[in-house]
Amino acid sequence: MKDARLSVRDALYEAPGPKTRRRVAAATVVSLIALAALIAAIIRKFCISGQFDEKYWSFFLKLTTWKFLGKGLLGTMEAALMAAVIVLIMGFLLMYGRISKSKIARWICTALIEFTRGVPTLLFIYFFFLVVPQLGIKMSAFWKISAPVAISAAGMVAETMRGGVNAVPKGQKEAALSLGMSDVSVFFKVIFPQALRYVIPAMLSELVIVVKDTTFAYVVNFPDLMQNAKVLISNYDALLSVYLVVAVIYIIINYLLNKLSVIAARRGKNSSPAVQSENIVTEQI
Amino acid sequence: MDVKELLAQYGDKYIQATLTTWKLTALAFSLAFLIGILITVIRVCPIKPLRVAGDIYVQIFRNIPGACMLVILVYALPYLNVILSYFNCVLIAASLLPAAFCSEYLMAGINTIDVGQIEAARSLGMTFSQIIRRIVIPQALCSSVLPLTNLLVATMLTTALASQVPLNPQDLTGLVAHINTHAVGGVTAFFISAVIYCATAVVIGQIGSLIDRKVRILR
Repeated sequence: MKDARLSVRDALYEAPGPKTRRRVAAATVVSLIALAALIAAIIRKFCISGQFDEKYWSFFLKLTTWKFLGKGLLGTMEAALMAAVIVLIMGFLLMYGRISKSKIARWICTALIEFTRGVPTLLFIYFFFLVVPQLGIKMSAFWKISAPVAISAAGMVAETMRGGVNAVPKGQKEAALSLGMSDVSVFFKVIFPQALRYVIPAMLSELVIVVKDTTFAYVVNFPDLMQNAKVLISNYDALLSVYLVVAVIYIIINYLLNKLSVIAARRGKNSSPAVQSENIVTEQI
Repeated sequence: MDVKELLAQYGDKYIQATLTTWKLTALAFSLAFLIGILITVIRVCPIKPLRVAGDIYVQIFRNIPGACMLVILVYALPYLNVILSYFNCVLIAASLLPAAFCSEYLMAGINTIDVGQIEAARSLGMTFSQIIRRIVIPQALCSSVLPLTNLLVATMLTTALASQVPLNPQDLTGLVAHINTHAVGGVTAFFISAVIYCATAVVIGQIGSLIDRKVRILR
C-alpha cells in the first residue's frame, strides 16, 4: 500500500530540472512560512485569551490528575472491550444467518444488518438510556453504553466477516465436501478459520469505531475518559486544556489501533494473496 | 403511545427533524467533499511541508471521536474568543471528520491507477495538468463512488451529534430524546426516527450503486 502510494505520488512528476527544482524549493519555503504563520496565529489566540496561564496546565504535573484520567481510560477500555466481545458474537450470528440456506433467516439477518448500519449510535444509546427503563428493565451504566455501541457496529462487522468468508477460495469448500465433511463442519473447520485470518486487519480498524462511540458514555453517566475529564474541568476550572489533552489521548489510541491494523494487513498479505484488494479504510467516523 | 397518537402529536416535529437531518447531511457532505479534495491535492503535490500537513490533518481527524470534536467546538472555542452557533458547530464537526476519510478514499482511488498509464500519458506529450485532469481525477472519482456513498451515510449518522446541543428545529435523534424526556414515547418514537434514518441510508446506497455500475472501470 505504502509503496504503491509513493510510486503514484511520485510518478506524477518528471524528474525536475534545475528551474523546477528552484521553483519547488521556493514553494517549500513559502509553504513553511505559511504553516508557521498559521501555528503562530493559533498560539497568539491562546496567549491573548490567557489560556497558556500556569493555572490551566500546572495540574497536569500532578500524579493524581493522571491517575484520575487513567481511571477514566480504564472505563473506556472496559466498555470498548465488552462491546467488542458482544459485537463479535452478534456479528458472527448475523453473518451466519445471512449466508445460511434458510430464506427466512437470510431475510431477517439482511434486514437487521441494514438496520444497524443505517441508525446512528446515539439513537441506540438514547434507546437504552430512555426507552429501556420505561419497559421496566434495569441496566447498569456499563451495559447502557456497551450494548448500544455493540449493536450499532454489529451490522458492519457481520458484513466484514462475510467478505472474509467470500474471499476463501471455492476449491477449499469443494475439496472438503468431497472428503465427505458435512456442511456445518466444512464451515467451522475449513472456511471460517481462514476467513477470520483474512479479516483481522479490518476488525482492528473497526475497533476504532467502538472506541470512538464509547465517548458518548457521558450520556448514560458512565465514568469513561470524557466523563472523568468533565469532573477534572469542574475541579480545576480549566476546560480548554483538559479537553485538548483528552482529544490527544483519543487520537493517539486510535492512531495506534489503525497502525496495528496496517501491520496486521501487511503480515497477512504474505500468507494470503487472495484478499490483497480488501480495502481496510472503513468509514469509522 | 401508538404510532397514530404519536404522529398526531409530534408529526410536524418529525417532518422538521427529518429536514434538519437532511439539510445538515447535505451541507456537511458537500463541505467534506470540498475539503477532502483540497487535502488530497495537498497530499499529492510536490511540496513536502504541504504533504506532511495534509497527512497530519488526516491522522488527526480520522482518529478524533465526534463527541470530542463537538465539545471542543462548542465549549472550548469560546475561551479563545471564537463563538460559533450551535448549528455551525455541528456542521463543522460533521464535515471536518468525514473530510479526512474522503481524502483517504480519493488517495486509494488514485492508487488504483497503474503507474504505466501516467508514463504513457507523458510519452504522448501530455502536460502535468492534462494528466491530472484527464487521467488521474476521472479514474480516481470513478473508483471511489462506492466508498463516497458509504461516507455520505456515515456523514448522516455523524449529524446525530446535533442531539447533543440545543437546536431548533431538532434533528431526528434529538427529537427522540426530547419526546422521551417530556412524554412517554417509548419504543415507537425511537422506531420512527430509526426507520427514517434507515430509509435514507438505503436510498443513498441504491443511488450510489447505480452510479457505480454506470461508471465502474473493469480491470
